[in-house]
Amino acid sequence: METLDFHCRLIMDEYREALPVLEDMKNTVLARLNDALGRSGLSVTAVEARVKTEESLAGKLVRKGNKYATLSDITDLVGARIITFYTDDVDRIASMAEKLFEIDWVNSVDKRRLHQLDSFGYNSLHYICRLPDCDFRFELQLRTTLQHAWAAINHDTGYKSGIEIPQEYMRRMNRLAGMLEMADDEFSRIRTELTDYRRRVQTLVQSGRLDDVMLDGDTFRSYLQVGSIDALNRRIAAINQAEIQDTPLSRFLKVFKALKCNTLGDLDRLIKQYGDDAYLLARHQLGNTDLDIISSAIGLQNICIVCILSTGGGKIGLERLFDALNGHNTQNGALAELTYEQAKNLPFMQNNK
Amino acid sequence: MKTQITQEDNCLTACFIGRLDTAAAVQTAEDVKPLLEAANKEIVLDCSALEYISSSGLRIFLTIRKEAAAHGCKVIVRNINADIRQVFMMTGFISLFEIQ
Repeated sequence: METLDFHCRLIMDEYREALPVLEDMKNTVLARLNDALGRSGLSVTAVEARVKTEESLAGKLVRKGNKYATLSDITDLVGARIITFYTDDVDRIASMAEKLFEIDWVNSVDKRRLHQLDSFGYNSLHYICRLPDCDFRFELQLRTTLQHAWAAINHDTGYKSGIEIPQEYMRRMNRLAGMLEMADDEFSRIRTELTDYRRRVQTLVQSGRLDDVMLDGDTFRSYLQVGSIDALNRRIAAINQAEIQDTPLSRFLKVFKALKCNTLGDLDRLIKQYGDDAYLLARHQLGNTDLDIISSAIGLQNICIVCILSTGGGKIGLERLFDALNGHNTQNGALAELTYEQAKNLPFMQNNK
Repeated sequence: MKTQITQEDNCLTACFIGRLDTAAAVQTAEDVKPLLEAANKEIVLDCSALEYISSSGLRIFLTIRKEAAAHGCKVIVRNINADIRQVFMMTGFISLFEIQ
């Protein structure tokens, strides 16, 4: 503070007086950003805001105090930052911010566009914004997680301006910035291609071209949405007028892979082939109980059981099924024994004898 | 039907004793409330002395699991007898719980 001249000390006094207003402004900005992001459904890494500390402001005034006539000339007294997963989202959130705040276009800067064709470095979009009826402006920084990592590490070195940085160090940091820019672009491309892939799969599933779709996590989910398993579950629930509790079904994917289902067509045929027997097994098990709650896993579970027993997998096959579904467990042997005993007199087992 | 809850280190254990049928479910739901409020603890449902479980009992187990998952906790069902294992199996809930 001793190094501040009279003019800068006046600005510091003004700052101390304005602190409650700045704090309110920070909270309002943060609330508006969180609200808008929540409504947009965009997922981001972080939304943060801060009021500039007295120490940081004093440092700024020491470096370039003459640039500011009054406190309100300083545009980053309140700073907000949104860190996104994808580079495309920076632009989406920028357009969202343009609707939320009044943008000071003269002082806003897209640092991503400042680089020459052969240079790399700090990448971030900085908007200088204003809330309605507020004397002070604030800075909104938008960047990706990788850009943020680069900026944070660069800042950690303690250099405030590019001039001070030793050439060799600057070259290595810029080399990393170039590499991270490529990684950001690749992450965005992967997201776009995955979205296209999911759309294509949904189209194929809806048009019934199931043999054209390889079985994987995404396609399995799409297939389950078609509803043939829901129909089987509802049929089973009707035995005791039971309520169906939703449970995750993704663990069945590896079982169907082990049962040689390579495409959704294979899976669909297997479900159609064993669906009726899966229902009979459930009716046999639940029919003389008063259990009126079942899991949404029951249909797939019984299809796997029937498939294994119908194809001669026996108790060992069932134990392997339960190992795959429940994790390896000493109880699975007993479970296999019990299931086999319950199923052994059902019609699909007679065909197997 | 009795429910005894004990705590050791970072683990809460509920021992169920008797038959968890529809009539016992209301009191049991009340008795397990401390489990629903336990954040960041492992929950063990010890069924060594549990003779029978009805749909109402299953619903209590599911509520405990749902609350535990919301707090990032794990629920282990321990020492179930053959009849109860069969109930978990027939209803498709066997793979929802870690059964030891």
